[in-house]
Amino acid sequence: MAGGTAEPAEPPESAGMTGTEEVSRLRGTLFEAVTLGATVFGLLMVGVLLLYVVNDAVRPLSADPGWHLVFFLTLVVPSLSVAAYCYTREGPAGEVAYATFGLPVVGLLVGAGIVVVFLEVVSVADWFGLALALVAAAGAIELHRRLRPYAALERLAVLIVAPLVAIFGVPALSVDRTLATPLTGTELFTLSFSTPKLLPGVPELFTSLPVLPLDWLLLVVSLTLPVAFAFGRIVSRRREDDRGRLETVAAAGAVALVGALVAPTVGIDAAHWVVLATTTLLPLGVYLEGVVRERAGLAGLWFPVVVVAGTLVGALVVETVGFAGPDPWLDWGFLTSATSRSPADAGIYPALVGSILMLVVIVVSAFPVGVGAAIYLEEYAPNSGPLGTFVTLVEINIGNLAGVPSVVYGLLGLAIFVRTFDLGNGTVIVGGFTVGLLILPIVIISAQEAIRAVPDSLRQASYGMGATQWQTIRNVVLPRALPGTLTGTILALGRAIGETAPLLMIGAAASVRTPPNGFFSRFSAMPRQIYSWSSEIQPEFRYGVLAAGVVTLLVVLLMMNGTAILIRNKYQRES
Amino acid sequence: MTADNGRSIGGVSRRKFIATTGVAGVLSVAGCSENDASGDGNGGNGNGNGNGGNGNGNGNGNGNGNGGNGGNGGNGGNGGNGNGNGNGNGNGNGNGSGNDSGNGNGNGGSEDLSGEVIITGSSTVFPVSDSFAELFMEEYPDVNVTVDSTGSGGGFENHFCPGDSDINGASRPIQEAETENCGSNDVEPVEFQIASDALTVAVNNDADWVDCMTFDELSQIWRDDRAQTWSDVRDDWPDEEIALFGPASTSGTYDWFNENVIGEDYEHTAEHEPTEEDNLIVQGIQDNQYAMGYFGYAYYSENSDSVKAVEVRESEDGECTEPSLENAQSGDYPMARPLFIYASEESAQRPEVAEFLNFYIENSETDRVSEIGYVPASTDLRDENLSTLEEITGS
Repeated sequence: MAGGTAEPAEPPESAGMTGTEEVSRLRGTLFEAVTLGATVFGLLMVGVLLLYVVNDAVRPLSADPGWHLVFFLTLVVPSLSVAAYCYTREGPAGEVAYATFGLPVVGLLVGAGIVVVFLEVVSVADWFGLALALVAAAGAIELHRRLRPYAALERLAVLIVAPLVAIFGVPALSVDRTLATPLTGTELFTLSFSTPKLLPGVPELFTSLPVLPLDWLLLVVSLTLPVAFAFGRIVSRRREDDRGRLETVAAAGAVALVGALVAPTVGIDAAHWVVLATTTLLPLGVYLEGVVRERAGLAGLWFPVVVVAGTLVGALVVETVGFAGPDPWLDWGFLTSATSRSPADAGIYPALVGSILMLVVIVVSAFPVGVGAAIYLEEYAPNSGPLGTFVTLVEINIGNLAGVPSVVYGLLGLAIFVRTFDLGNGTVIVGGFTVGLLILPIVIISAQEAIRAVPDSLRQASYGMGATQWQTIRNVVLPRALPGTLTGTILALGRAIGETAPLLMIGAAASVRTPPNGFFSRFSAMPRQIYSWSSEIQPEFRYGVLAAGVVTLLVVLLMMNGTAILIRNKYQRES
Repeated sequence: MTADNGRSIGGVSRRKFIATTGVAGVLSVAGCSENDASGDGNGGNGNGNGNGGNGNGNGNGNGNGNGGNGGNGGNGGNGGNGNGNGNGNGNGNGNGSGNDSGNGNGNGGSEDLSGEVIITGSSTVFPVSDSFAELFMEEYPDVNVTVDSTGSGGGFENHFCPGDSDINGASRPIQEAETENCGSNDVEPVEFQIASDALTVAVNNDADWVDCMTFDELSQIWRDDRAQTWSDVRDDWPDEEIALFGPASTSGTYDWFNENVIGEDYEHTAEHEPTEEDNLIVQGIQDNQYAMGYFGYAYYSENSDSVKAVEVRESEDGECTEPSLENAQSGDYPMARPLFIYASEESAQRPEVAEFLNFYIENSETDRVSEIGYVPASTDLRDENLSTLEEITGS
């Protein structure tokens, strides 16, 4: 609003306008129009592209017109009118409407992701063992804190060693080395011994138990109850009493248990039910509890009811009348099957799992390194003298690295991770490291920006209280810089998930039909799969299957960016 | 694949092991077979000979020597609960290969294959390999066959010869330099011709002046100091610039065309639009009335409405022949070329690779190949390939 902000400075009309003022005003209006034009043009272009792709992926026109009419009448009109009513008549109702509708949708997607992880990557028993190990490690650390509250260095050691020992145990030692003098090479003595595994880790102990509880029971204990405990804190705080937490945990446990007993009778795996209930029903329940108790915006609760009822009624009518629905490329089969030679059977599942696993590697590798580098460059690195010049040079080059073409990173990954370290051609870990390198400069720069945005007065105040630099960074700078860092990182991850060229270079194959079951197995990622569909002979691949893949990729991207916004908002409110 | 999946299946199999004796028992002497199935078999079959089996490190890594009880096969039954309580008194050496293969019945048979087969190479052969990979994995779900399309030369150079891939597809025979390159990495390529292709030269649908061309005319257009306009080739053709679309130099199609059509004395032109994407060639020809390109027959048969195939003859006195599978099969079409896969002899020793090669060769003679748009191998060729395979795998 360039015109709007200029208004107060304008002289009153009676003073008369001189020529220069007229010109400057015209310039302002013109400038506003140009910026508006740029916005509209950009959005329109992207919008048309997206519509094109979505149309190819879903093929809405393949349905009977009657089908569209029925759903328009039973679903679109009622839900839109309820939404319009909620937003115009009652302020909070609008928010309630979209939250009660959006929470289950997001919850289902997250739950589905977790189910996939349990299906492909870790078994429930392994996960439970891991959780046990972490609890044991936390217990050990806490115990040490109680017993020796002032041994800071010792605690650092405990902090690092306890989780490692808990998870991995003490591995077998095996040394076979001949010591020789460095120059002459005279052999001094040979050190050779090996021990059996000294101490098994907690997960290993757990999974070697003769009888293991059922998967869904393990999930209730290791997933539902902790999550319910966390949500219970919100309930307790909101109601300002102590019972809220207990009630939430009890209710969540009861729902999970009852559902797990009932679910198999309707054909749902009990363990899947527990996961989905935890990610969907629990947040929804906690949210509803708040809405109902405060009695604010209750009308909004009608929205999800209308949507679900409208869908059901529409489906019923369509079924009875016999209108054919659309025949989309993007359907359940597409999401759950592997690629195929026939377009109708082709799916993206292995690539989806591959992309997610690759993201895990990227997060674990690039985030700590990037943030660490940013902290050093901003807080510790000298900024004057010859060393300061060197640091400036380094910073400029990090900026340049962010602009290096991704295919170059692919070659780098091929040379370093595949050829030198021999981590395997086209494996998840190589893909993750390579793309991690690619986004590292972006992570560093965004973290630097976030750290730089923390006002210096806060640091000075912290020093004034007698805090050391380490305490200042830990307690003052990092918490304030976290939202910015996270936002930057997640946006960088959004770029990472769409990268194709590095994957081509490190040898991620064109068609992989088994989802990776670990970080060292070969994988394909979504963009790689989309690329290979683009060169298929049959046009159905290029115009249908490919579009469905693109939409899937976009939805995953959208979810990640949505998460970024949520995290940022949450921390901004807290800080 | 989840570990509990592997467990329950393992449970079933182990119970069956008690009933089975035979091949697996012999294998158990070795005690370190990579194959999970035969590994499992040891537990049951090591009846009383005390040659401990190897604990199967199933997915969750509790390879604590279950069933590794050489002493009495009866304990194998306990292993049946799949919880990995190694109650054996044997020397369970637990080789824990870590791949929790869903071993169906532990009879050491074909269904228990697991592992990886990595295929790279020609984009022309890619549809065949990919199709066979899909069929093979329906039969052997635990074998992960990955197929990549890297171009024949690119595959040899970057994947096959460094030892990263097991099989490389090629739309031309391997070159001497490539054999040497492979040899320096101790990779011994073994050739199998699995199909033939009718390389197709295509022009725009509106290019009504051209119907038939000789090798010499094609050579004039595609060689290094090429004819720039159509009229340079024949006087009655339009005086318009020829736009060329063809494969990239990493492609075997490029090499074959250079060697056999352009002639070995000439270099392939670098003035064409090179791409590994045959679709782009088709598109380029479609968009330009004076364009010309060449690609595998499979792409032409899929796009026969969008572009026009040129009939070819080897020389002036030859007969104009249109590209088709029949003509390629009968040998009338002069631009029919063989398609190969090259297997690394070392990889072929792995049972899953050997089995896949066997499957590939068996199927290369069927209609599955002609459905894709190539000429299937003849029965003789298939038998020859099978005996080659037998020779190198020694079985």
